[in-house]
Amino acid sequence: MSLHPITDVAGLHRHLEAAIQLEHATIPPYLTALYSIRPGTNSAALQVLRAVAVEEMLHLTLSANILNAVGGSPDLTVPGFVPAFPAYLPDGETDFEVGLRRFSTEAIDTFLKIERPAPADGESIRTVERPPRPTMLGAGKVADDSEEHFYSIGEFYRAIEDGLIRLEAEHGPELFAGDPRRQITPEFYYSGGGEIIPVTDLTSARAAIRLIAEQGEGDGGAIFDYEDEIAHYYRFQQLVLGRYYQAGDVAGSPSGLPVDVDWGAVYPIKTNARVSDYPEGSELRRAAEAFNRDYAGFLALLTGAFQGEPARLNDAMGDMFRLKDLAGQLMRQPLDAAGMEHAAPTFEV
Amino acid sequence: MASTDLRAEFLALSAALTGFSVFRLEGTGQTDAYLTTIGDIVGEATVDALVSVHRGLVDATGGDEAELQRGLRRELLSDAKLGPVARNLVKLWYVGTWYELPAAWRDTFGPSLRDRTFVVSPEAYTEGLLWPAVGANPAGAKPFGYGMWAKPPRIDTV
Amino acid sequence: MTEERNDRFEVSPEAASSIAYDVAVVGSGVSGALIAKELSGRGLRVLVIEAGPSHDLTVAEYETSLRRFYGAASKDNNAPYAANANAPMPRSTDTTKLRPGEPNADGYLVQLGPLELDSTYTRVLGGTSRHWEGKALRMLPDDFALRSRFGRAADWPLGYDDLEPYYRRAEFELGVAGEVEEQDFAGLRFAPDYVYPMHGMPRSHLDRVIADDLDGLEVARDGETFALSVRGTPQARNGVPNAAYDGGRGYRPVGAVSLHQAELGERCQGNTNCTPICPVQAKYDARRTLFQALGTGRVDLLTQAVASEVHVDPASGRVTAIDYQAYADPASAEHVTGTVRADVFVLAGNAVENARLMLASGLTGSSGLVGRNLMDHAYLLTWALMPEPVGALRGPLCTSGIEDLRTGAFRRQHAAFRFGIHNDGWGWATGSPYGDLEELVDRRNTFGPALRRALVQQISRQVLMAGMIEVLPDESNRVTVDPRYRDRLGNPRPVVSFGVPPYTLEAAAFARRLSRRLYQRLGAEDHTAYHPAEPGWVSYQGEGYVLRGGNHWAGTHVMGTSPRASVVDADQRSWDHPNLFLAGAGSMASIGTSNTTLTLAALCLRSADTIAKDLETAAAPVTATAGGAGA
Ligand SMILES: Cc1cc2nc3c(=O)[nH]c(=O)nc-3n(C[C@H](O)[C@H](O)[C@H](O)COP(=O)(O)OP(=O)(O)OC[C@H]3O[C@@H](n4cnc5c(N)ncnc54)[C@H](O)[C@@H]3O)c2cc1C
Ligand code: SF4
Repeated sequence: MSLHPITDVAGLHRHLEAAIQLEHATIPPYLTALYSIRPGTNSAALQVLRAVAVEEMLHLTLSANILNAVGGSPDLTVPGFVPAFPAYLPDGETDFEVGLRRFSTEAIDTFLKIERPAPADGESIRTVERPPRPTMLGAGKVADDSEEHFYSIGEFYRAIEDGLIRLEAEHGPELFAGDPRRQITPEFYYSGGGEIIPVTDLTSARAAIRLIAEQGEGDGGAIFDYEDEIAHYYRFQQLVLGRYYQAGDVAGSPSGLPVDVDWGAVYPIKTNARVSDYPEGSELRRAAEAFNRDYAGFLALLTGAFQGEPARLNDAMGDMFRLKDLAGQLMRQPLDAAGMEHAAPTFEV
Repeated sequence: MASTDLRAEFLALSAALTGFSVFRLEGTGQTDAYLTTIGDIVGEATVDALVSVHRGLVDATGGDEAELQRGLRRELLSDAKLGPVARNLVKLWYVGTWYELPAAWRDTFGPSLRDRTFVVSPEAYTEGLLWPAVGANPAGAKPFGYGMWAKPPRIDTV
Repeated sequence: MTEERNDRFEVSPEAASSIAYDVAVVGSGVSGALIAKELSGRGLRVLVIEAGPSHDLTVAEYETSLRRFYGAASKDNNAPYAANANAPMPRSTDTTKLRPGEPNADGYLVQLGPLELDSTYTRVLGGTSRHWEGKALRMLPDDFALRSRFGRAADWPLGYDDLEPYYRRAEFELGVAGEVEEQDFAGLRFAPDYVYPMHGMPRSHLDRVIADDLDGLEVARDGETFALSVRGTPQARNGVPNAAYDGGRGYRPVGAVSLHQAELGERCQGNTNCTPICPVQAKYDARRTLFQALGTGRVDLLTQAVASEVHVDPASGRVTAIDYQAYADPASAEHVTGTVRADVFVLAGNAVENARLMLASGLTGSSGLVGRNLMDHAYLLTWALMPEPVGALRGPLCTSGIEDLRTGAFRRQHAAFRFGIHNDGWGWATGSPYGDLEELVDRRNTFGPALRRALVQQISRQVLMAGMIEVLPDESNRVTVDPRYRDRLGNPRPVVSFGVPPYTLEAAAFARRLSRRLYQRLGAEDHTAYHPAEPGWVSYQGEGYVLRGGNHWAGTHVMGTSPRASVVDADQRSWDHPNLFLAGAGSMASIGTSNTTLTLAALCLRSADTIAKDLETAAAPVTATAGGAGA
């Protein structure tokens, strides 16, 4: 049981806002690794990173649906929503930093920590409390001097699910009094990575949570979820272990087709680059700033989509394609004459 | 990577000829591939000649764009040897394709075995600048996303 | 390089020869894959024989094809697919201007003319659907009754209403995006409350600009007046699922084909490359259906095996076996010959290859019509520059068209046609944008910022309207074989004779006149020009036109009501060989103004029902065949 169970609607909103922030916080690191791969190489890694990033977008949208359903209002434009990288995420038994770095074994190690599975019993929610850190995502704040950390994202969502069940028992269906027109439905969102679930009651809310948890870490350590989709944790692990998982495999021993990874076919981008690393007045600097502006614009579009104009979601997706191209241009800019280090988008919003 | 100076000068020349900034050219990731391609086919000396004509013009025109353009026409684009190579360089950046040089050029300056029409690499195609120039995507790559075709094109003004 | 087999579903030639199958299908294109899926779904044991390699069941392999396309200097329809001398395919680049009496045997097809056809097809896993564009148009009710309504050609042995339920099933299998409300022209009828599986593709900016000026334009023809309007084109690419589909159950789009996890194949992203290869697998291709068929566990796939001869029992006329040549390495002619046995045989190699294989086996049909009545659409391309940049080269190749002249009393006089409005600029007609770049750089001496501006004016304003004109069946248009022309494995190559009659040319002339009027109304600069030196050039009443191939090979084994006047019956069953089905567009009695695939898919679904009934299997329980709304 969590140390600070959700006992009121405000607490539920706070946790769901944290969930949205947390889902989002993984996107810049995943995208950075994804875009750093040289085109035409590393097909397997590209597919894995791409699939995970796409699913994080889905999770973010599902969390927004839940928050909207219980009368909250997702806002991705509040100051501090995007962490300053490197950042600490509010999950993990011990702290670890998540940075913006090129596709590398180090990056995958971090990603494995982010997505690490919850225990199999499906009951316990293990948390630790720690003093806050300045670069910590504000998600786990329980008091001014303390933050609650969940061992895994799965446990975090279990705490939310507990809260939903508890509050629904208390308030009845009234808990889900949010405007259904704010729901993102399959008409507005469709990706190869699973279907969006509109949330209108406890059942659909729990279905959404189940999808998030199972796609993420494979709840209870299962490699494939109820839709036969492989969990993020195991997707990443395949890159390290050099083989695809197939049905029937046990964790740690994939037996499918081989996975080829070329760790060298990557742009040597600067880790956790900042705009201030780029010469003032240079086109590079202007481009990095433009990227950040556009990224902020993307978050504003998403916010609009989650606040009653779901059709804007498609425009936001269009922005993603443009941002990808801009990120690619940045990553090809040598920072030194020998081209040892390259620029990268900084995600300073 | 080519010598730093040559590389930088090659980019500066390319920027003047294509109308795209050095940043945008570097953003294609093709600088080294194109420098190598062109050097392999027409020889390093010709590449040196190309960049030094441009360097000379930049020095002489002191930032006057119109004068620089005029100089490029007079000394580069109308030069029997350098002109066709400069035009090929433009096409290279725009579509990633090296075009076989005109027969007259090959007769006069000697054919190279590698001088035939070819796409430098799959990426050279997808990174072609023609498509961004007209607000489009190269067919089969860099899409804009579902339904974006319903909006008017976004074309950078130059 | 020797190709490895995937032992999960691929059989070796030896194994294939030793198993008695219920059904053997030649070809893994839309026709073959649909029949294999339907029959295996009903418990039957099926073998699919495919001439091409088993490539492209993983995303990585698929990307190899994509990169082959990126790196190709000629980006023609077959550019993504490796040349394979054991299963050669036609390339549009092989088409040259014919001189009278001199065949062009440079490519795989031997072309006798008089009209040069630059149509192609693909012999790879999934067949020609790999590079089809995905337009999924139903034929019109009138198209099935040309003889009774217009005194032309022959009526089909079945009518629109007979095929309608199968059209619905086909739209489900192919995953068609469209809006029924937009299809209310020329008597097209849909089942009550029917909606397409997905909403229509958004109209391009270009479509809207054109519609603004063209909608409502009245065209008088043979006593009738047609008010033109720009309508969305139904197409088989993933879009927004329609929640109202299947009585409100909705539709779940099918993603990329992959042997391991790959979250690809989502919504069309506007890569503008549906032909020849969609990079994200948003466009339907037959590998999707084939993959579902393989998933039943009852389908064996024998790839790199070219069916070479059909054997018939002279007494009963029944097919007893089909021989195939199995090669291990596409780079070498070395092969072994094997034989497959089955209760029912299906040829689904496409209209050209089906005829070629029958004729190579000496089976000309008691009607003598095998290979005859070859049809294709004739395309008349017209192109212009719009007054302002409209954003050419974005989006699916076509999102809208003009359908209003697809039928009418004028069909007694001349052919029907439709206009497709192209989002991909002039490429098909002129080689743009490459040609434009060459012109501006090499001849107009433009460079620097001026070049960028000139390119915008020259390219972003492009519009191309493609008139797709009906060509009626004609026995002298045909595929034959000739022992002088063989491929590397010794199989006779298709020899093609094709020409178009005044009935079609009159429509071409009319379409050209109409296009002039459309461009005048749009204030667009008409740049259309046809040169006598081009392949496809025809002269009609003093004016020259260039007709391009439509890639819609059809009619080589037409269906009908009698063995004397047709090769197959309405179920695509051979009149002469009761356990042989000739499947695909070859069975179409005429092709109207619809791209052929949706119709051939409907026909194949119908044949599958017949074959299943024939075999009356009491085997495995009937598993759902994933019928669409009301199917
Ligand atoms: C550029 C282009 C664009 C097109 N666009 C459209 C469109 O927008 N809309 C539309 O409706 N249609 C379109 N078409 C037509 C469409 O692609 C075909 O109608 C359709 O794919 C035919 O399917 P099929 O299965 O009958 O034949 P195919 O797809 O040709 O499949 C035949 C299969 O059989 C195999 N095969 C052939 N011979 C043998 C043999 N002897 N032994 C073993 N295997 C063999 C081949 O390798 C192939 O896999 C287009 C075609 C082209 C070329
Ligand atoms: S437009 Fe692009 S994404 Fe869409 S189907 Fe065509 S190629 Fe695929």
